[in-house]
Amino acid sequence: MSENKPYDMQEALDKALKDDFLRMATRRATDKLRHQKLDAANQLGDWEEWREAGEKIRNQVILNLDYYLKQLIENVEKNGGHVHLAKTPQDAVNAVQEIFQKHNAKTLIKSKSMISEEIHLNPVLEKDGVEVIETDLGEYIVQIAHEPPSHIIVPAMHKNRDQIAKLFEPIAGHSLTSDTPTLTKFARGKMRKKFLNGEIGISGCNFAVADTGTIAMVTNEGNGRMVSTLPKVQITLMGMERIVPSFKELGVMLNLLARSATGQRLSAYTTLYTPPRREGDVDGPEEWHLVILDHNRSEILGDPDFRASLRCIRCGSCFNVCPVYRQIGGHAYGSVYAGPIGIVITPLLEQDYEKWGHLPYFSSICGACAEACPVRIPLHDLIVKHRDRKVLTGQTSAIEHQAFRAYRYYFTHPKVLRHFVHWGARMQFVFMRRGRIVMGPPPLANWLKSRYLTPLPRQTFDDLWPMLERRLKKIELQRGEQK
Amino acid sequence: MSDHQDFIKHLALKLGRPTPASVEPINVQVPHYQLNSPEERIDTLLANWESLGGKGIKAQTPEEAVQALKSWFGDPEPKWLNSTSIITWGELPDFAQNTFNQLHWTTQSYPDSSSERSARINVAAQAQLGVTGADYGIVQSGTLIQLSNARRGRAVSLVPPRHLAFLAGSKIKDELAEIMEELLTAGAPPAAIEMISGPSRTSDIEMDLSIGVHGPIEVYLVVMTEL
Repeated sequence: MSENKPYDMQEALDKALKDDFLRMATRRATDKLRHQKLDAANQLGDWEEWREAGEKIRNQVILNLDYYLKQLIENVEKNGGHVHLAKTPQDAVNAVQEIFQKHNAKTLIKSKSMISEEIHLNPVLEKDGVEVIETDLGEYIVQIAHEPPSHIIVPAMHKNRDQIAKLFEPIAGHSLTSDTPTLTKFARGKMRKKFLNGEIGISGCNFAVADTGTIAMVTNEGNGRMVSTLPKVQITLMGMERIVPSFKELGVMLNLLARSATGQRLSAYTTLYTPPRREGDVDGPEEWHLVILDHNRSEILGDPDFRASLRCIRCGSCFNVCPVYRQIGGHAYGSVYAGPIGIVITPLLEQDYEKWGHLPYFSSICGACAEACPVRIPLHDLIVKHRDRKVLTGQTSAIEHQAFRAYRYYFTHPKVLRHFVHWGARMQFVFMRRGRIVMGPPPLANWLKSRYLTPLPRQTFDDLWPMLERRLKKIELQRGEQK
Repeated sequence: MSDHQDFIKHLALKLGRPTPASVEPINVQVPHYQLNSPEERIDTLLANWESLGGKGIKAQTPEEAVQALKSWFGDPEPKWLNSTSIITWGELPDFAQNTFNQLHWTTQSYPDSSSERSARINVAAQAQLGVTGADYGIVQSGTLIQLSNARRGRAVSLVPPRHLAFLAGSKIKDELAEIMEELLTAGAPPAAIEMISGPSRTSDIEMDLSIGVHGPIEVYLVVMTEL
């Protein structure tokens, strides 16, 4: 999906399904992450006890979000940080723009932040003449390719090494071999200079600790540490639900996050920062801003059906087990958040079924996502709830209405159904090849492009029933005589 | 401030009740990881640290550490050694200081290197090795923990391509939960608590592990067993 072209679902799906590398790479990456996670989870003792604890902590936070958020804001301000509360993505963008204007800053070094994707921050800052440097290696790759991330943990999962080398070459000014050490070394050298001169740093927030005003940030590359250590001014972007009450609960959540996201016991760097820097400290930001985004999270909070989705800790483990994600990758969804959690939260964050109503059908409702979720969000139930709500609010297509009306009619009129099946079984040969139904009238035709149906049997259970009934009676009679 | 109040009020409205004045603490039980002896703790921490790609040794005395450093970085001195290539915290454990005194390798204190921020950052960028202490170790995850203060400097364990840490054996804990309990009762936290588990790593290129895209490429740990 490029920034300016509107999303076309059919086109996006066709593109994904025809991209053999993308599909292979997505399967390879998700397999690896999934297996690493299982190994890491098993090392922790009873993983279910951990999930239960995670669910309980996150539930308690969500149900008391106003209390904990108030506490967090008070503590951040007491420590000398600046809090910006943003109702909308535009409010958040404005807050960041104002900070850049105040400092007349022209360079931004950025570590991974999904909120910055959600509010579409980069294009706005670039328009203001700010050089935006994504420093997470995967984010850097997709930034140069002008693409959004395709996985929340592995943003450039869909790119192969030759494509990456080709993207780096114009910047390097010479040809590069596509082996991992060469590409990594190039990125290190390139970004090192940017880090040393970056005026403002922006980073995301994995958890905010309410009772101290501390932000926990997890990275493997160390770019998060660079962003929170070197620039004089730092901005942290957080979704308003990303809170834990204290360090005690943070310990539980960090274990769950690292193991679920990448199968590590802890990520290479877990930084708990409580900015700004203290008197006499030789590094760390002198000025720190915390931008807290609502963007309809409050609507989700007020909707008991979907409230559980606010428990999410953005580990990506639901992506890695989803049979649909594994086939099409992240871009085909068209949304900032892909995978099962993206299906659930996108229509809610955007409050728009018209644009995002296709998402709840990007699921086979197999329930693997709910099984994988470290905070036990019943993701497949919530996906079904979306479908349900679309029907209740009249957002489904006329064809779907007609189909269900027909279904209701036939299944409440057994005689007509029997008739239909009887004649269907005799007429279906028109649509059959090699003993399977492979074509049909629209809208079935589309569905049958990649699947087939087993034909109706010549003899149905209904046809057999009179004979079976006679047999049963006979058996009962014989039993009676034996007694 | 009134904006803040409105924001919070809106959430209370959505939750269908006024904002509570206090909230019950959350009581959760999770399985614990526990080893039996300090020796086992040190050995398992080092094994986990090495499995993450780090190098480490146990040292009773600075003399033992001297041998290890020579074998890691060069004997009698590293090829890259000059007056600015080793930066250190302003406050290193005496053990570490003694080790470097015996080696006669010149070190430079990062916090004292310049009074100007960008000059200090350049000092860190030029260095080949950053030397620090560590406040805690975590056995289960192979992790070092460093609390920031004015005499230390967060860049020392981050910017140079090599990081060497000295950790007292008695400061090794079994699991993260123990550290969190200590932090909970320690009062206001410092500006940064860095938890470091091995070298900088990423699998962003075709899921192929690569080391050192931003942070140190090589990480070394000396566990001071008598401290």
